[in-house]
Amino acid sequence: MVIEESPQITRRTTRSSALAKCPNNVVEETNASSQPPPTLDDLVLGEEGESFSFDDLVSSFPGRQSQIKELVNLLGPQNSPMLPIFMYGGTSTGKTSILLQTFRHLKRPFVYSSCLTCYNPRILFESILNQLILHRKNAENGYSSAKRCERPSDFVNFVREALVSIIGKLQGQKSGKLSSKMSGKANGNMIYLIFDNLERVRGWDKGSTVLPLLLNLYDTLKMPELGLIFISNTSPDTYDSNVGYVDPNPIYFPDYTDDDLGQILMRNQENKKLYTSFLSVVLRPFSRITRRVDELSTAFSLLFRKYCEPVTDLRVVPNEEMKRRLFSHFQPHIAPALNEVFKVSQPSTEVEARERKQKGRTRKSGGYDVVDQLDFHMSTSTKYLLISAFLASRNPATLDASLFDSTGGSNNRKRKRKVSEKSMEQKETAEQELLMKGPGTFPIERLLAIFQFLCGANFVVKGGSCPLEGSTRYRSTVSEDMALQVARSIKFPLSKYLYRR
Amino acid sequence: MAPSSSSASSGDSSTPDTTQNHLQHSFVLHKASEKLNSSGKARRRIDLSLTKPDGKKESDESCLRKEAFQLVWSRIESTIKDVLRNMNAHVFNHIRSWVWDSFNAIKPFPTSCLGPFPFVSQATCTQLFTGLLLTNNMEFVDDILTFQELGLSLKSHGCHVANLSSSDFSSKNGISGCLTSLFRHFLMPTFDAADMSIFASWYSQQGNYGYPVVVIIDNMEQCCGAVLSDFILMLSEWVVKIPVILIMGVATTLDAPRNILPSNALQKLCPCKFTLGSPAERMDAVVEAALVRQCSGFAVGHKVAVFLRNYFLNQDGTLTSFVRALKIACVQHFSTEPLSFLLGWLLVKEDSKGVQSEEVVKLASELLSFARNQMAEQSDVKIAPGLTELTRLQKLWSTVVLCLYEAGKCNKTQLLDLYCEALDPDTSNSLASDSRTAIGKGFVQSLSSDHCMLEQNLSYRKGRLICQLVCRVRDLPASLLCQLLNSWENLTVDVLEIHDKVKELQSILKFEEGSCKPDLIEISRRRTSRSPLKIGESQSVNEKAAILMDCMVRDFMKPIECTPFHEIVCFRNVENLQSALIGDSRKMIQVDLLEFHKTLQCSCCRRSGNIPLPSMPDTSIMYTLAQEHGDLINLHDWFQSFKTIVIQYNRKGTCKLKKSPLKKRKERNESENKSEAFIQARFCRAITELQITGLVRMPSKKRRDCVQRVAFGL
Repeated sequence: MVIEESPQITRRTTRSSALAKCPNNVVEETNASSQPPPTLDDLVLGEEGESFSFDDLVSSFPGRQSQIKELVNLLGPQNSPMLPIFMYGGTSTGKTSILLQTFRHLKRPFVYSSCLTCYNPRILFESILNQLILHRKNAENGYSSAKRCERPSDFVNFVREALVSIIGKLQGQKSGKLSSKMSGKANGNMIYLIFDNLERVRGWDKGSTVLPLLLNLYDTLKMPELGLIFISNTSPDTYDSNVGYVDPNPIYFPDYTDDDLGQILMRNQENKKLYTSFLSVVLRPFSRITRRVDELSTAFSLLFRKYCEPVTDLRVVPNEEMKRRLFSHFQPHIAPALNEVFKVSQPSTEVEARERKQKGRTRKSGGYDVVDQLDFHMSTSTKYLLISAFLASRNPATLDASLFDSTGGSNNRKRKRKVSEKSMEQKETAEQELLMKGPGTFPIERLLAIFQFLCGANFVVKGGSCPLEGSTRYRSTVSEDMALQVARSIKFPLSKYLYRR
Repeated sequence: MAPSSSSASSGDSSTPDTTQNHLQHSFVLHKASEKLNSSGKARRRIDLSLTKPDGKKESDESCLRKEAFQLVWSRIESTIKDVLRNMNAHVFNHIRSWVWDSFNAIKPFPTSCLGPFPFVSQATCTQLFTGLLLTNNMEFVDDILTFQELGLSLKSHGCHVANLSSSDFSSKNGISGCLTSLFRHFLMPTFDAADMSIFASWYSQQGNYGYPVVVIIDNMEQCCGAVLSDFILMLSEWVVKIPVILIMGVATTLDAPRNILPSNALQKLCPCKFTLGSPAERMDAVVEAALVRQCSGFAVGHKVAVFLRNYFLNQDGTLTSFVRALKIACVQHFSTEPLSFLLGWLLVKEDSKGVQSEEVVKLASELLSFARNQMAEQSDVKIAPGLTELTRLQKLWSTVVLCLYEAGKCNKTQLLDLYCEALDPDTSNSLASDSRTAIGKGFVQSLSSDHCMLEQNLSYRKGRLICQLVCRVRDLPASLLCQLLNSWENLTVDVLEIHDKVKELQSILKFEEGSCKPDLIEISRRRTSRSPLKIGESQSVNEKAAILMDCMVRDFMKPIECTPFHEIVCFRNVENLQSALIGDSRKMIQVDLLEFHKTLQCSCCRRSGNIPLPSMPDTSIMYTLAQEHGDLINLHDWFQSFKTIVIQYNRKGTCKLKKSPLKKRKERNESENKSEAFIQARFCRAITELQITGLVRMPSKKRRDCVQRVAFGL
């Protein structure tokens, strides 16, 4: 099995077209430990001498021509200073990919760091510095960073140093050997810092130090050779901008339209005609729910397989009659798939075994009652506790006396209340509130009291619990279906005790 | 009371990691009660404790018993482990092949592309292959070992494995905590900050590259959802460079990930479902191997079995605690039963059949002669043949129980239930009274006897599990009956009497098949639809099988408690076991507070009765006083009565000392000055102790002057 990991171009890498062309030979893979030390070229994306024109760039991102143009304009011609750029838009609208591919097209050096992966300031700072200093963590240096940097002020100093040296190198490259192609593939002497997932930074110490530092970095460093690009899935308005720094240039990435989605999903499909007919069926209902490419492509990859089930030859060009046939076969699967966020598959062998088992069982158990049981094992006392927690969470506490106390209920009922219009209204709003708030909280004593009632005389767990005074409250997160199922397994009439508005 | 030590908890899940885990089962053991087995029944007990001539023999004997215990328990333990391992092996193989399949689907990038930026232009390739391993078990303790073994099995097939527990995904430590514990499995513990680039760099090294990285999270439902979703998002960003495959344990249903994770994290998962054997299945397998098949010779009585069953179903529900209860039973048996060392001899004898190890033979003869000596002193009972008979009967019993279980398999009869019923001496008694009527006919005749009697017997014992099983055999379709007879044939190889009958039935069935020619499905359909066109022949086969089963139960299934010498191998003291396992802690606290002098053994408080004395410990005084109140205790009253009692002591104490009058007066003044504050402090301390032990509750906002009593009675 191990031998199989030969470096052939996978389905995935062909999609990211040119990336798949990066060094793919066996030698590289096996001699992984003897990596060459990182050079300036590592800051540039793409291969030496490859041409990736503007048209290639635009054609690989359908529906994004205007954004790409705007981005290239803002980046400006070679060696021209630029103001920070702020790219924003929903998840999976192509922000990061477009930016990276644009840099591949321009062949300019950049430093990328995602604030998702770099989950705290220190790791973010050190990741940027490591890339600028051309340092790579490995076993020889004990996986340590080039510089230890925790404080923002240190970061500013270090990054200035590193930028100066790297810009010097870039300029040296240019002026030194103009003729030789070996001098490097980097264009220009600008260096760009890219911060992806910037919205995560707001969570770090409430965004009070790092976020202003990053947004202000351009003013702080005052280096014309530095370009800053921020990527976020929320608009710049959501960042507190009255601190006094220069507002970055925003580029908005709107959600894709249906046509764009169609074009994107159509890329790299082997049988375009068949897939078009498939999309004509599914795209409209699905795009009403989500326009995220990642969600759609996962959902569609499963559905397309189902769609193709009746087709024997996948290269067939479908005619109208066939389309109709496929649709009628496929239609019942659409509606359930719309609600499915998370589809769990089973390994084929296990499915088969299970099915066989199921068949056998149904044959065997024919004639005997099948007890409805829980799918998982729980001891009886746990079940009772779960039900009492569920009741304590759903029912109002005032109801306990009438439900569980044999004497408590009767007194209340005698009082006849006149139902006024106002109280009805109040009741209605209370109902709505209950629906919105979901399960309420309760103290542990109440849980134990109900538990004691439910267990009755025949089932009392002694010892173990220590009812100290505590202000902690609890909430049962069990769904009603589950609670009902548990109740059924111990034959407890839960629905009788459930308060329903 | 003594808190549990590791000695008792080295049951099924006691791996080094478990002991550190917060999921460690806690249980309370009592200090061993001095009295020996004290059930007042006049059964034939061979009590050696009275006739011990010298200390040497005694120590000899206890040493032998200890050895025997070790022998027996190691046998049981290893059997249980093997059973559980075999149960999981099938699922583990599935998981392993799935891991490699998904790894081949990921195809990590070559190592030179190590930049921190994502290489993604298509969404599906950021998906993490995720195995959801359904444990079907709310109690997680049983599965700790399973997940460790899964890790080992994957490791042995070339994967890089990290076993993370749900405590690594706590909101307190956040994402860095879980990354740190993840990296610790692969890297030296000296890395600076847990950064994914370290991990990527490690993976690209020689020897690491080209194998899947499997991250096992043992119980995802207990993880902090936010941390887990961050973890998933981060891994999915890197999955192209580090081919991580997740395996998450899910205790309840497949809805669990949906409830815990936000949709953007769910979207990154490409899940696949695996199912472990349910606890009930595992339980049955363990009972079959350890108790029914008699791997060690050790057995438990009916009451103990019922207690163990109820403990498993109602209270604890874990296999771990079941095994531990079994171990405690075993310990108690060997520590209380003087002749229990013979069990060791039985085991050794069994072993030495094949391997004639000198040491073993020597030990056996030593044991035997020792036993003979003992017996000679006591009575003339021939113990060796008695024991052989005992083992023979037990073997017969277990064969029949397994046959019954086989018959009950098709309608999901739990072996645990069946086992409890088969051990019941009452069943056997009622059966014996039946068999007295049938004794003249004998076993052979009863096969051909009319089924009227059977019917009658069955109706009289209706509702019982074994009878239900016999009834069901009569309704069994032919194909299943054929299967059942085949499995019986295998089970009864050692018992010739039954084996012959099974063969006979098989030949009848075969003959019938040959003559009637209808295929099996046809027969079964007729049988289930109960058409009037019953073929007399095939009916009689079912009938005969049922009669055979009934006879097996009657003649061969003798519960262990009905056989002579069963005291040697059988543990029956359910009270001891119960107190050791459940250890009613609150009751013990109350008893200790009220009857403290039993523990303290002081002379001053002995005469007290129920009257609080000043020499008593403060907490005891307080608790005795509290007994006089209802569920609300007025703090002021309580304090006043406490003060009177304590001051009484102070006066007494000073009087007793008989010091010079001047000094005395001075002291008294001092003590009066001090006393108020001092007594208040003592009062507070005592009341806090009562609160901590859960006997009173602190004043509520409504009634600030009263505390509430929580525990009433014992």
